[in-house]
Amino acid sequence: MPNIIVLIGRVLDPSGIVFNRRAGRLFVNREEYLLQPADRCALEAALRIKEAGRPKESPSAEVVALPRTLLPDDDVLRQAVATGADRAIYLAGQVANADDALMARVLAAVVERLGGADLVLTGATTLDTGQGQLGPRLAEALGWPQIVDVWHVEAADGRVRAVRKGKDGFVAVEADLPAVVTVLPGVLKPRYPDGARLINVYRGVKEMANALEQWDVADLVEAQALKPLVERRGQEFPAERERGARVSGTPAQMAQTVAEALRQRVRR
Amino acid sequence: MDFTFSPEHVALRRMIREFAETEVAPIAAEIDREHKVPHDVLHKLGQIGLLGVCFPQEYGGMGAGEAGYCILMEELGRVCTSTATNVGAHIGIGAMAIHLDGSEEQKRKYLVPLARGEKMAAFGLTESNAGSDAANIRTRAVREGDSWILDGGKVYITNGGYAHVITVMAVTDPALGARGGVTAFIVETDWPGFKVAREEDKMGIRGTSTAELVFEELRVPHENVLGKVGEGFVAFMRSLDMGRLTLGAAGLGGAQAALEWSVRWAKTRKQFGTELANKQSVQWMIANLATEIEALRSLVYRVAWMVDAHQPFTQLAAMCKMYGSEVGSRAIDVALQIHGGLGYTRDFPIERAFRDARIAEIFEGTNEIQRIVIASNIFRDYGVRIRP
Amino acid sequence: MDFTFSEEQEMFRSMFRDFSAKEVAPKAEEIDHQEKPPLDILRKAASQGFLGATLPEDYVGAALDYVSYALLIETLAHDCMSVAVTLATHVSLVAMSILETGTEAQKEEWLPPLAAGEMIGAFALTEPDAGSDAAALQARATPDGDEVVLEGVKTWVANGGIAGLFLVFAQGPQGVEAFLVPQDTPGLTVGYREPTLGLRSVPFNTIYLEGCRVPVANRLGEPGKGWVIAQRAQDRMAVALAAAGLGVARAAVEVAAQFATERVQFGVPIAQKQAIQSYVAEAHVEVEALRYLVYHAAWLVDQGGEFSFDASVVKNFGARVARSVTNRMLQVLGGYGYMEDYPMARKYRDARALGIIGGPTELYHVRVAQRIFSEWNVEITP
Repeated sequence: MPNIIVLIGRVLDPSGIVFNRRAGRLFVNREEYLLQPADRCALEAALRIKEAGRPKESPSAEVVALPRTLLPDDDVLRQAVATGADRAIYLAGQVANADDALMARVLAAVVERLGGADLVLTGATTLDTGQGQLGPRLAEALGWPQIVDVWHVEAADGRVRAVRKGKDGFVAVEADLPAVVTVLPGVLKPRYPDGARLINVYRGVKEMANALEQWDVADLVEAQALKPLVERRGQEFPAERERGARVSGTPAQMAQTVAEALRQRVRR
Repeated sequence: MDFTFSPEHVALRRMIREFAETEVAPIAAEIDREHKVPHDVLHKLGQIGLLGVCFPQEYGGMGAGEAGYCILMEELGRVCTSTATNVGAHIGIGAMAIHLDGSEEQKRKYLVPLARGEKMAAFGLTESNAGSDAANIRTRAVREGDSWILDGGKVYITNGGYAHVITVMAVTDPALGARGGVTAFIVETDWPGFKVAREEDKMGIRGTSTAELVFEELRVPHENVLGKVGEGFVAFMRSLDMGRLTLGAAGLGGAQAALEWSVRWAKTRKQFGTELANKQSVQWMIANLATEIEALRSLVYRVAWMVDAHQPFTQLAAMCKMYGSEVGSRAIDVALQIHGGLGYTRDFPIERAFRDARIAEIFEGTNEIQRIVIASNIFRDYGVRIRP
Repeated sequence: MDFTFSEEQEMFRSMFRDFSAKEVAPKAEEIDHQEKPPLDILRKAASQGFLGATLPEDYVGAALDYVSYALLIETLAHDCMSVAVTLATHVSLVAMSILETGTEAQKEEWLPPLAAGEMIGAFALTEPDAGSDAAALQARATPDGDEVVLEGVKTWVANGGIAGLFLVFAQGPQGVEAFLVPQDTPGLTVGYREPTLGLRSVPFNTIYLEGCRVPVANRLGEPGKGWVIAQRAQDRMAVALAAAGLGVARAAVEVAAQFATERVQFGVPIAQKQAIQSYVAEAHVEVEALRYLVYHAAWLVDQGGEFSFDASVVKNFGARVARSVTNRMLQVLGGYGYMEDYPMARKYRDARALGIIGGPTELYHVRVAQRIFSEWNVEITP
């Protein structure tokens, strides 16, 4: 049984996408993928927990990476292992419009087949959909407690301790393990993969020879469970509008106006 | 023929690009302005194994081969020539000499910490009377029991001001000269008799150490002879070839940056009622530049493949260095011209890249020497030994 | 055709060389490294009459013809391009604009102090959105009784930080106009100085005009007719910049040639190597060609007729030669060419400016092409 499971996904690099308003659609000029920034932070959190000590009494601390969506290849998982996950499982299978509800069912089945886990970490939000459903849905499917949108997380002695940001400050939240925790992007600085490990993972050699497994989605759940909840009916873009206000006057006057606006904003 | 990079090299490039943009690019202007070596960045590169990118994993390296090394130099060259130069001197001539010619003990003792970035390396060959004419060195090494005593000095040594380990070339038999009379020694810079005399004030690559070294009765144990006594030049020549190829890669990175800057500016800047991108003179510059970059890219990675496939590559490595440095210079000159005044002010990175690029046509063997090497090799293939 | 300088011009050249060798050459490295405007040198130059080089004696000038003036610029640039550019800005762009277009009163008021070096002139034309496309000026000149109110921002104003007098171009109701604005006029602020790759002792500043009032009497030339002044000034400057390019290129060849005879590698001076010979020979050919082009253009200025086309040709060629020669001669010096304690790196950085200041090379291509194609009745728009 792994100690920590991390769910990792990918997103199209936004700098390779252009929105053409006249055509009313997005054009992908350069198809390159990034790891979801929040998922990278989740992996970083997992690795730090592992390095700090075992979250629960177990023979050895292990971090396993799983995909958060169904992917055409295992590159995301190789990156996760290169960065420090002990192993990863690629889920093979193509399901049209696979959404978070579907993935929660599939991943719950994976966790069960692994014999459970102490902790599941994943990103609190995704760069493309802006949604944070996967963590909570998986927690529900597993029947575990969930702590979402955390800044900081630690795990030891069978408990997970997290810090969330509230309206007036920071709040510490605790739960018994096993639990699902979702991590905000931008707080933890994700580490770079170790070079030699990266080379070995991609070549599938030496200590990395068995780091990746492949499981078929069809073996995990019934066809009924593979129906997505969400139906995509089209896309629309917000109308173009100018935000803000034009400032005029002498440079001194304009500086005054801007300073006042900033002061107002801070007060609010 | 398969012109794709292997998956591990694609992943490696992606990782290095992120590192370069996050850790290196933000400090590039500062290290130039303040004339500082980016020790923090070098340390971080070492921590993830990049300072041993092409060395075998059993010696602390990454095992990514020459292709991996070229990718590293290209991506670093794209954001900061100074950083690329520090790294290139450390890996490509400093540690490389030990990798190519070191004994098992020497590799365990020196190559491992160098590959892990725990220590930094340099290569000490050039002297004031021995620039292009490297065989004209005068630093002397005299045997005394189980040590050698070195006396003399070196100039223009990249990383010389801070390296822990320097491979120094010294004359062990003046009568024999370059053929049999020069030996390579692994010198630790904290030994008595080793001194850094001064740092050069350079037009560019100001984020590097270019030092004058002095050796006064510097005692080097015999076990630190690299390769065989008298065969230092053979070792040196092999290191040089490797270093040349990767300089071409760094030039490629710099040229690529120049192209990206030029395109971005040309599509933004409007004069005479339209973007510069709509001006044919600019279009021609961009098209010519892009073509040269593609040609250089193909050359560099083909030669990297040949190195990893253990094929002879001396002449081609010289071409990479010569062509890469010249394309790099032409590229940034075009970028400067397109940017106009903004290319001439120190508030933009263009003029720094312009100053940085210029050295590539001179160090690591001037492009005149590269042309001699290429011509010699060509004529030799036709059975003629030319006098340069 | 007599291709020799007159006896008087030869004498001037000799005098310029003595001055430059004594006053400019020894300071060139220091003023570049410290980015100090060469005020001492300018003072001494003023006492030699150089700051009023081409101005008539009535206005305290030295009454040099443009050929002799070009010799002066070339000679100064040979030792320090920054000094040459500072002087050329002052004389060709500012003082000669007043000489050519000013009223008698304006000439009497402004030329003597400029000639004496009591005030340095600066030329304020370029704006953030008006670089090559200088006609796209946004600075405004609004008449108000017997004053004109100037509003706008000017960038890359050469001599900005040391100027006592600014020649400012702005859009008036009838077109572009030129104004003489003393440095202490309320509403004129000298701002940021650009840190540059080369020409490091020439201060290039941004200046701000905010409700800057000048008397109508400070307008140069007719209302709305300022653009011609700007063009004439730039044409004169083009010849001067080409002369500066000639000076720096000639100096580069001399330094490299001397080095090549002294630097021994492979048992012989590198001058014995054919590649080095080619570099130096080719550079010399380019310098010679530029020399004749520069002095021909200067001679045309003295003839009093049209010289705009030739100015474009010579600026274009001068920039090209200066850049290519300093680059190639740097290569001859090898590592020494890259070190800032040798002069070549500085010459390389300085020469690079010629591709941009006074207008980029591409713009000069368009001007030359315009003239050529107009002979076939085809009008080119840039």
